Amino acid sequence: MKLRLSSSRATVMAGLALIVGMPVTLPAVEIHIQSDTRIYGMERDIGGVEGQMVAPGYEYLRIDAGQLQEKGFSFHSYGWGRLDFADNEFFEHREDGELLYGYLQYADPESGLDLRVGRQTVAGGVGNDAIDGLQLSGDLGPWLVALVYGGQPVGFSSDNGRTDDLIYGGRLGIHQGRFGELGVSYKNLENNNVIAEEALGLDLSLFLPANISLSGFSNRNLDSKGWAEHSYELQIPLNPVLIRPYFGEYDYEHYFGTGVNTVNPFRVLAINGEKLRVIGLDTTWKYSDAIDLALKIKGNDYDRMNGSEYASGLVTWHGAELTQVGVEVGYMKGDLDKQKYLLTRLFGYLDGLEEYGIGFMSGDVVWARYDQPIYGKDDSLFVSLGVGRDFLDEAVEVELSADYSRDPYFDADLRGLFSVTYRYDHE
Amino acid sequence: MMLKKISGFSFLLLLALVMTACVALRAEWTPPLQHPADAGLGKRPPICTDCHEARNENFNWQRFNHDTFFGDNHRQQAYQGSRVCSMCHQQNFCNDCHASTSVELTPSVKDPSATYRRSPHRGDWITRHRIEGSLDPTSCIRCHRNPKTATTCAPCHG
Repeated sequence: MKLRLSSSRATVMAGLALIVGMPVTLPAVEIHIQSDTRIYGMERDIGGVEGQMVAPGYEYLRIDAGQLQEKGFSFHSYGWGRLDFADNEFFEHREDGELLYGYLQYADPESGLDLRVGRQTVAGGVGNDAIDGLQLSGDLGPWLVALVYGGQPVGFSSDNGRTDDLIYGGRLGIHQGRFGELGVSYKNLENNNVIAEEALGLDLSLFLPANISLSGFSNRNLDSKGWAEHSYELQIPLNPVLIRPYFGEYDYEHYFGTGVNTVNPFRVLAINGEKLRVIGLDTTWKYSDAIDLALKIKGNDYDRMNGSEYASGLVTWHGAELTQVGVEVGYMKGDLDKQKYLLTRLFGYLDGLEEYGIGFMSGDVVWARYDQPIYGKDDSLFVSLGVGRDFLDEAVEVELSADYSRDPYFDADLRGLFSVTYRYDHE
Repeated sequence: MMLKKISGFSFLLLLALVMTACVALRAEWTPPLQHPADAGLGKRPPICTDCHEARNENFNWQRFNHDTFFGDNHRQQAYQGSRVCSMCHQQNFCNDCHASTSVELTPSVKDPSATYRRSPHRGDWITRHRIEGSLDPTSCIRCHRNPKTATTCAPCHG
């Protein structure tokens, strides 16, 4: 009998586990609600008609209830919905909303046991999926940590029903704070009874003398029987400088070839036989408490295409709280002229402006110059400005922003946003 | 392969075993559910080693320093230490960028004022992704890998 976890079965199983397995004391319930309401306005060409108004309103709602400060029972949910005020065809083929997660959690106060049932995200090793099901994690003594999960994947189309969709997997790791962690993980994902992904992952963190660390992972595609990815990096702290050289190797056949799960444009990549090796170096220099300098260098080497390189430099000045102003300049040098561009960005965020009647002000200017014109244009300009402030002891935040873009796709695009964030806490 | 032959019964047995073992074999130290609120973290992305030692027998704090490129490179930390992330970030914080199902709005559209984040889709990304996607498409699939998250790719890529 293969495992087939429907949402209702998973819920019943978890309920039984919670009732039978756990000694229960129910302290006062804490509640946290966060509502993000966003209303956009812009113009788009729809169905051959130019300049039609598009005005969606979004509600992102998060509710947490139960024991939120301490371990125990709790419920967590987050989802979004859209209302199309312009009521035209722009959103015709899209979902109107989605429950991103909604799960019951039991975190045992004495051990590291963590049990979750419902719609949730699993993250650990090769597992990085939204599931309707069950997740159990915890420490097995001082050195071992385990994660197992099973249920139905959320990301598939439900046109053929979800009864034959299945995901299960887990991770087992051995760790010691001073020396590192070694883990092995597995995931099996089936869509309508056909394997969509079957992956095995090995992950490693090795803590070396002088606070140097080596970490990374290797993922094997068990369905296509080949290594999909090897990604490893060193972190070398030379205070106040941190150097991070990294290496990655990707075999497109096994990396993009995820069975019936493969979607375009990745389906094409999975059959082109390319292999990519990435070598890079990130360097950050904490010049002072207020100033960070950073340098990014990355090189791509292929089996079939010629190589490409990217380099950028970044200077950031930090003030109080989130206040910062920065400038970044980078250049991408692909093999072909159409793969070369210069990217510059000037950004700023000024926090704590209450004495001027606003809470914060943000600005962002991104200018890119393309070596070969795209749709007759060889550069693009993006400008974003925003202001906002808190009310009622940060329970309400109101924000107004506008984005302008002139690029190969838009002669002049203007998008406005009005948002209200409301937070409610009951302890 | 043995793993493919896993049955519903054996999976449930594995769950029960792990649950029992978790309760019986207690760890000497586990991360708290939330970072202590009185630590005064403030709004600025934290450098953990400003308060913690780089590493001790329980934990390596240095790995979680939110330096300039942490937003670009935190895969390994999430791969091995997601429960450390959850001490400060609720799941929705991750979902806004990494949802395995439809979120519709990219992070830089949902929060355009968050200029202190290095959102990859900022600016004229629709043009730049023609170039970056051809030179290194490996990062695209991490978010757009299933039918629901690939709906934004479909209008042009089929």
